[in-house]
Amino acid sequence: MRNRSWSLVLGASLGFGAWDLELLRPRVLAAALIFSSVFVNRAAAAEVIPPKPPAYFNDYANVVSKEKARALNEKLAQFERDTSNQVVVAVFRKMESDSDVAGYTQRIAQSWKVGQAEKRNGAVLFVFIDDRKMFIQVGYGLEGALPDVTAFDITERHVKPRFRAGDYANGLEEGIELILKAIRGEYKGDGATAQEKQRTPGASSGCGPLGFLVMLIIVLGIIRLGRRKGGYGYTGLGGPFISSGWGSGWSSSSSSSSSGGGFSGFSGGGGSFGGGGAGSSW
Amino acid sequence: MKTFLGFGKLVVLVSLFSLTGCGTYNRLVTLEQTVNKKWADVQSVYQRRADLIPNLVSTVAGAANFEKSTLTEVTNARASVGQVKLDPSKAPTDAAELEKFQKAQGQLSNALSRLLVVSENYPQLRATEAFQNLQAQLEGTENRISVERNNFNTAVQEYNTALERFPTNMLNKMFGFKPRPFFTAAAGAEKAPEVKFDFSKPGPTATP
Repeated sequence: MRNRSWSLVLGASLGFGAWDLELLRPRVLAAALIFSSVFVNRAAAAEVIPPKPPAYFNDYANVVSKEKARALNEKLAQFERDTSNQVVVAVFRKMESDSDVAGYTQRIAQSWKVGQAEKRNGAVLFVFIDDRKMFIQVGYGLEGALPDVTAFDITERHVKPRFRAGDYANGLEEGIELILKAIRGEYKGDGATAQEKQRTPGASSGCGPLGFLVMLIIVLGIIRLGRRKGGYGYTGLGGPFISSGWGSGWSSSSSSSSSGGGFSGFSGGGGSFGGGGAGSSW
Repeated sequence: MKTFLGFGKLVVLVSLFSLTGCGTYNRLVTLEQTVNKKWADVQSVYQRRADLIPNLVSTVAGAANFEKSTLTEVTNARASVGQVKLDPSKAPTDAAELEKFQKAQGQLSNALSRLLVVSENYPQLRATEAFQNLQAQLEGTENRISVERNNFNTAVQEYNTALERFPTNMLNKMFGFKPRPFFTAAAGAEKAPEVKFDFSKPGPTATP
């Protein structure tokens, strides 16, 4: 640190681009590999992070009627237009992770980037039906309006009794209602959701052009492979793979159906999560 | 002679610098600042936990004949955590220092998890809203600690890797950049208090 001031002057006077030779160093590569296996996979052994959801209300477990799911989805979309807060609900059949529900759902919420980037005002209600677990993940920017105690109160004393009785629809509705009530007034919206602001025609669930290219290459590769093996798998793999974008088990059947007008799609605004929130088992 | 040596050093530095470019240096500065920022986040979540403890202790102590030893353990661990104070604005460069910090915090984690396990023997206490809320807060704090520790480790990894890169690794000593130690997952000691209870174990006291 002692030489920093004059080296800064030097740095300013010599505007050369950096050489990136680091990839040639096997030691660095090995260290990075070891690190990632120790620090990243340690907590998340055999973990599947589901891809970004297409909607605000995502019922992958089919526990809520289509009409209800639709209504709740529109309510959450409107809430983002009004307040800029992004609240997402994801109901899965079960956890695909060996770690605890708090850590797992934090990593999912973080990867979905729920909430606006600067305000970090996202919240996600996760429900795992078969595991009988739920958790509200609260973004950094909403920790004040929706503290752990409030999140716990919502899951434990309002949603849980309904879930216990098997009434998922009303449990979810009440949970959503209470979350919105807690965080309304924290931020102001500007009348549009993050997706509506992007104005990208035919945006396919937040998959950028690069992602599309990669997918295309993979799909083409699979097609070629299939052909070499005698043609089977050409239609079997190519078709649904392209249309759904991701496929493999997470495809939603009820909530994300876009039949009819007025369906509001979700895309994360860049929010981040620090482990705030609480959950319950029922 | 001294100026000549200084000049020689300067020439070496300039040539090295022209080799690497200032972008690398600036990147190191940014990465180091990120590490320090993440360290501050880690400190604040640990502080958050420490702040919860007096409240927890007083709530639990109010329960009829709550086992004293577990409470004392928590209070002592909280006190020893207070003694291992590290600069919250700068990530430690000394691995031993970080380990000492981690050990003290780990003891507090253990004491807290034991307290939660013992509290299982006091259903009346657990039924109170005050206790349930405190437990939710405590769990939330543990979750935050694990998130911020992970973020810190990621930032340190990026910074340390950048330091090791050629040809930056020839420069970093001159600039005084030092690699930073990580948080490690010590067996058992670093586990967050889990709220799974083993009923097969005999409880220390009977239900009041």
